[in-house]
Order: sequence, then C-alpha cells, then structure tokens
Amino acid sequence: MPEQPYEPERAVAGTGMGGAMDLGASEAVTLEQGPGGPEGTGPVGRPRSLWSDAWRDLRRNPVFIVSALVILFLVFISLWPSAIASGSPLTCDLAKAQDGPGPGAPFGYDGQGCNVYTRTVYGARTSVTVGVLATLGVALLGSVLGGLAGYFGGLPDSVLSRVTDIFFAIPVVLGGLVLLSVVTSNTVWPVIGFMVLLGWPQISRIARGSVITAKQNDYVQAARALGASDARILLRHIAPNAVAPVIVVATIALGTYIALEATLSYLGVGLKPPSVSWGIDISAASPYIRNAPHALLWPSGALAITVLAFIMLGDAVRDALDPKLR
Amino acid sequence: MGGVTHARWAAGAVVVALAATGCGGGSGGGYGGGSGDGVLSSSWGDPQNPLEPANTNEVQGGKVLDMIFRGLKKYDPRTGKAQDWLARSIDTKDSQNFTVRVKDGWTFSNGEKVTARSFVDAWNYGASLRNNQKNAYFFGYIDGYDKVHPAGGAQSADTLSGLKVVDDHTFTVRLNQKFSGFPDTLGYAAFAPLPRIFYTDHAAWLKRPVGNGPYAVESYTRGSQMNLRKWDAYPGADKAQNGGVTLKVYTDNNTAYTDLMAGNLDLADDIPAAQLKNVRSDLGDRYINTPAGIIQTLAFPYYDKAWNKPGAEKVRTGLSMAINREQITERIFDRTRTPATDWTSPVLGTAGGFKAGLCGPACQYDPARAKKLVKEGGGIPGGQVRITYNADTGSHREWVDAVCNSINNALGDSRACVGNPVGTFADYRNRIGQHELRGPFRAGWQMDYPLIQNFLQPLYYTNASSNDGKWSDPDFDDLVDQANAQTDPAKAVSTFQKAEEVVRDKMAAIPLWYQNGSAGYSERLSHVALNPFSVPVYNEIKVG
Repeated sequence: MPEQPYEPERAVAGTGMGGAMDLGASEAVTLEQGPGGPEGTGPVGRPRSLWSDAWRDLRRNPVFIVSALVILFLVFISLWPSAIASGSPLTCDLAKAQDGPGPGAPFGYDGQGCNVYTRTVYGARTSVTVGVLATLGVALLGSVLGGLAGYFGGLPDSVLSRVTDIFFAIPVVLGGLVLLSVVTSNTVWPVIGFMVLLGWPQISRIARGSVITAKQNDYVQAARALGASDARILLRHIAPNAVAPVIVVATIALGTYIALEATLSYLGVGLKPPSVSWGIDISAASPYIRNAPHALLWPSGALAITVLAFIMLGDAVRDALDPKLR
Repeated sequence: MGGVTHARWAAGAVVVALAATGCGGGSGGGYGGGSGDGVLSSSWGDPQNPLEPANTNEVQGGKVLDMIFRGLKKYDPRTGKAQDWLARSIDTKDSQNFTVRVKDGWTFSNGEKVTARSFVDAWNYGASLRNNQKNAYFFGYIDGYDKVHPAGGAQSADTLSGLKVVDDHTFTVRLNQKFSGFPDTLGYAAFAPLPRIFYTDHAAWLKRPVGNGPYAVESYTRGSQMNLRKWDAYPGADKAQNGGVTLKVYTDNNTAYTDLMAGNLDLADDIPAAQLKNVRSDLGDRYINTPAGIIQTLAFPYYDKAWNKPGAEKVRTGLSMAINREQITERIFDRTRTPATDWTSPVLGTAGGFKAGLCGPACQYDPARAKKLVKEGGGIPGGQVRITYNADTGSHREWVDAVCNSINNALGDSRACVGNPVGTFADYRNRIGQHELRGPFRAGWQMDYPLIQNFLQPLYYTNASSNDGKWSDPDFDDLVDQANAQTDPAKAVSTFQKAEEVVRDKMAAIPLWYQNGSAGYSERLSHVALNPFSVPVYNEIKVG
C-alpha cells in the first residue's frame, strides 16, 4: 500500500481547510484524531495503522519468527532458569574440573568444576536484564532529550548537539575500563548506567532528526495554528510519527548492549563473580581452551546466538516500519 | 633479619623473584668468560617502586637488583647457601661485633671503586627514616637504628652508630643484640653497595641505576620493557654468558606463554596453571620445575578491627580448614604445588626449620569443623570474605576461585567467599601497602635466604617490613628475639618453631601450599636454571 503514507496528509490538509473556517475547539479535536490515525484510515474503512501494517509484515517474515522465538526462549529462561537447569550456578565441585559432559551436565564442567550448562542458562538472565534495561534507559533518555532539542531548536539544541559530539568521541571500551574500574558495587546497575551514559547520544540524534522532520508536516502546523500546546503537539502529533526510527535503532542496539556487557565482564570491569555472566565465563574459560574447549564454546555460542537474535529482530522491525528501505 | 631478599611478595606463583641469582658460585666460572653476545627476552612485570635496593621488597624489582648488584654475600644458585662474594671475610667473636673486609678490585659499572664506604653509606641511607625505604627494617639490628629510624618522632641521628669505616676496605658492624645469622643475610639486595652518583644525582640514578653486577641497565620503559646489557668489565666470576636480557612486561602469564610458544619470547618464568597439563608436551625438556623457597598464604588485615577481635582466630582457623588444599593443588596446579603443613618451606630441610605437619588439623580439610569454628568465632566479618589478589601473574585467579568455591561448599553458602582481582602486581602491592584492603589477601612469600627466620620474622614480627596485615603478638616477638640471640643453630631453629606455633594457634595467616619454581624456554637458550628463589639464573644462560 504505497499510497498509504500519503493518506494522512490528505486528511489533514482537507480538515485543515475546514478548520480554517471554523476554529471551534471540538473541531480541532476531531482534526487531531486525523493525524493520530494518520496511518490509520484505511481505504476500506478498517483502521490500519503503521503498526498494524508492520505487524502484518513481521508475521510473514521468517527471520522475525525465528529471532522472536529465540528471544522468547531467552526471556523465559531468564525468568525461570531453574525450569530447565537444576542446581545452583555457584555450586562447583573441583573434583570435576574440566570434565566433559556427564549426567545433569550436558555441556560438561569448567576449570573450577562448575556445571557449564547451568551457568550458561543462568547467564541469560544477566544478559537479557542488562540488554533490556540499558535499551529502555537509552531510548527514554535519548528520545526525550533529542526530541525536545529537535522540537524547540535554538540554543538548547546546539548545546545538546555538541554534547552528543563529545559523547560520540568517547571510545566505549576505554570509557568502560576507566569508569567502571572505580565501581565496587557488584550489580548490573553500574553497567546499565554506563551504557545509558554512552548510548543515549545515538538515540538522541536520531530522535532529534525525526522530530525535526515530523514537525514540518502540515498537520503539525495545523495543530499549532489551532492553538494546541507544545506538549500536546509533541505527544499527540510528533511522538507517534517520530518514534519508529528510535524503536528500530534501539532494538538493534539491544544486541550490541548484550555483547558490550559480556565484553566488559570479560575485561573484569563489568559484572564480577559471584555474579553469573557469559562474559565472566568466557574470560575464565579462555586459558583452558586447549584442554576444556567446551567451557569456552557454550557460553560463547549462547552469547553469539543471543546477540544475533536481537540484531535480526531489529532488522526485521526496521524493514517493517520503514518500507522505504526495502 | 632477614636478609635477603625479602621475600618478595612473590608474585605469585611461580615466579617470584629474587634472589640471588646468579651467582655462580661454584659453577659460575665454568662457562668461560662471556663468549655469547646473544640477547634473550624474558617475561617480567613492572616493579612497584624505582629500583633503590633498600626500597624494593617485591620480586619483580628484586629480579633486576639481582642482575645489577652484587653484595658481600651471594646465594649459591643451586643450594641457596650464602657464600662470600665481595666480602673477603666477615669475622666475629661474639656474634654481635663483626669486622667486614671488602675485596679489592671491584668497581661499579661507571668505574667507581667499591669500598667499605660504598656499603656503609648505602646502609645508612637505607636505614634513615628520612629516606623512607621499605627495607629499612633490615637494618634494625645495627646499633643506633632507633636513633636513625625511631618508631615515632623525628630522627636524632643521620647515621648508624654501629657502622664504622676502618679503612678503604674494612668496616665494622656492631649489633644491638646477638645475631649469629647476620652475615648470611648480607646477600640480600637491601645490603648492596651504592655508588656516589646515587646521592649526588639521585634522579639520574633512578632513571638509569648504576650497580656492580654482571648486567647494567640500558633503558626502561614502564609498562613495556627493560633492557639490560652485559657489563663487559664485570670483575666477578659469575660473568654474564649472554649479551644481555630484555625483560618484557606481561600483564597476563597466558600471553607470555603464548609468546613463548610463538617464538616471540625466550624465557617465561611463570607457567600458567591452565597450561600445566600441556607444558611437557609443548616444551619437552625445555620445561623446568624445581623446588623453591616459596610459600603461598592468605594474610589478614589486622588493622581492621573486624578481623582482629577476640575469637576471630577461630574464624581464620575455620577458613583454613574449609580449604581443600589437596584437591586444589591437584586439579588447578597439576601437582606442581604441595599442600602446606607449616609456614616455612621444604627447601629449608628439617635441619633448617621445615617441619611437616606443624600446622596439624588446622591445615586439614574438614568442612564440618570449619563451619562450626567460623560460627563460634562470630561468623565471617561483613558476611563475606573478599580475597584480594593480583591477576597478572601466577594464575592467582584460578586458585582464588577454587579456594572460594571450597570455602563456599564447606560453609554451605555460595556467596561466603569471592575473589577480588587487582590488575597488576605493582598496583596490588600499593593497595596492600596503603592498608586499603578490608579482607584477606594473597601473600606469596619468596624467601630472601634459606633460613627459617626469614619465613617468620619479616612477615609476623610487630611492624616488620613485610608484615602487611599488621599482625602483632608479644609472645611471638619474644620467641623470635630469643631465637635470634641463640648461637647454637639447632636451638635457634627450635625456638623459631615455637614462635611458628604461636602463628599457628592464632592462625595469623593461612598457609596454602609450597610452590615450585617453573619456567619454560625457547630452543635458542641453553643452561637455563632456576635458583632456590625460583628466579632464572640469568648470567649462566647461553643464547644460540
């Protein structure tokens, strides 16, 4: 439905003219509904938003189905790891160090005699928690700051742009080594905080750009002409039309945050034992690669599949939300 | 005191350094004088401090001092026995007043003669409170130390009254008590002679130390490498058999091992635990593993009240009994360590003070008793033991994790113990020195010289130089004083063992295992050996 995107403008333009003759408040409200469902009025009268279109596309996309299933599985074992893995990931029996697969330990044992299967399963929680929370934080902070800057422009916009430039210049791993090495807390929060700190400028730039584009649309001008407040314009007219790129980038970034958490933990500045994280396990197992490669390969494989799943999901979502890229 | 090199806190495992390396003593002259010009590379870590001899009490700095300095005594690289080196004789009638005669013909690498004054001035410098040297304590037996280095307040003298220069090559030493072992401590680097430039242009000296050993420092880039070149005019019998040594800094012994396998490194003196299973097939007879005077322990922060309250010794003993030493030395170290049953080292020999089983049940794995003792002692301070260690050498991460798992399993609490890595040995030593740690920390002790005294006094005597946890016990101090005053070596040893029993009863530090020195080298090298301090005998190595 290539003509679909144009539908709203037509609607807005039409109602806008009508509105110009009659500026009644009630009229304005109905007008706003136009843009609210700009992507919403289907030719056959059935409301079809951008979102429902996207959903239809996604359902037919095998890449989406596969990655979504993987992610659902990951979320499941993050919430209930004990459902598929018995024992505690912190219980290790040195007598079994570096042993291969055995009963209850299909992945074998690592250099400390910990059950690699159990640790790999429990490690998913850390990765998913860090990935999801960091993405939420980045998306919220970035889109609010970027959106406001894009909408209001002027000095705050210039300042924000320069600030994002500065953050872009910070190498992520180096920044992590410096900032996180002084942290003593052994929870996911410092890691998430660090990712939000360094991740928001990317989203903020995208949000700013798409808000600037959206605010030039006629229906926004119309709403402004009708006396809508900034808050109302931002929330009702601009946000719904500017959020798609943010979602796309944030979904793809989620995978990279998971990889970053593992990287930082590998380097010893992310999570630290006794936390369970794939990065920690990969780091601990790497010296044993010659004698116990399984201890390295399973958590590495889990990490690779997880990151891949989120990135593929992000790709699929992008394709669905942004048909122009197809 | 100890003399000798203090043990430097061994970096770990294996490696530690120190010692008297080289000496060649009996074997030194055997290879004829320096035919080889080849330069070898060897793994290393940055020293904690600039290389002032009296300010270096860790192995990495000690490794260099043993290459660039020679003292009155030198420890035989095979036996560890102290033998006269720059000393022509050290005579005493009463074990308290000593006359030292220095050999003629020795010079520093800048041409300056080594005289009696070179020693006396260096010792006065090392002892002086003003210079704040880490090894000042080693001069504590010399008369006048309390004036030069008072426990509190300003110093009232600049030089030790017990040191007198008689002539160019003779000086006398008066001790403040009898100490029959004193001459044997004089091979420790803290007692090295120093040239005038050390005082007149200190900054230049620090940048490029001038000594009197078989090697001279050519350049040093912190965090990268130090280049040492053979000093051609070296007058001793233990001349370098190679053209020089490049000490390359590694922050991970696995990297060093990989470099060795790839031919980028000639000598790695710290074989990673993870490779112990492969090292024989990788290197064949280019892998050496020899007993060394190193014991690995867990020390405690007694400056922290939580670890120093009455009853805490029960917690410490409980933790000791929660550690399955047998299993860890077998599974992690492939039996290259031996579970410790006392606080010394088998290299001393039983006559020298090693006493297997002195620790008794307190060093035996007994999880049930361990749990009970920890509970009786009031539980673990703060609810969690954080074992601090340096992650760059010695495969400490592997064994600290294993010790923690052992403790966790014994106590039935999967978070009772956790490792706390510090990136580099130098940083680790700094944190210990600043008393920042609030939990046990790894304490590897590489002997300075093979005397039982060196395994006890520097570590546990009140305010001793390497008593990092600030443990203090008057009974222990008394026994050590008595032991030092004994002129009969057997009686001295048995008195030291009584002092060691105090250490056991209070569990001042948890003994873990005795360590071997292990090293691997490339096909370019021959005549590679580790001395009893587990330091490569660099000057004997031939290249090509």
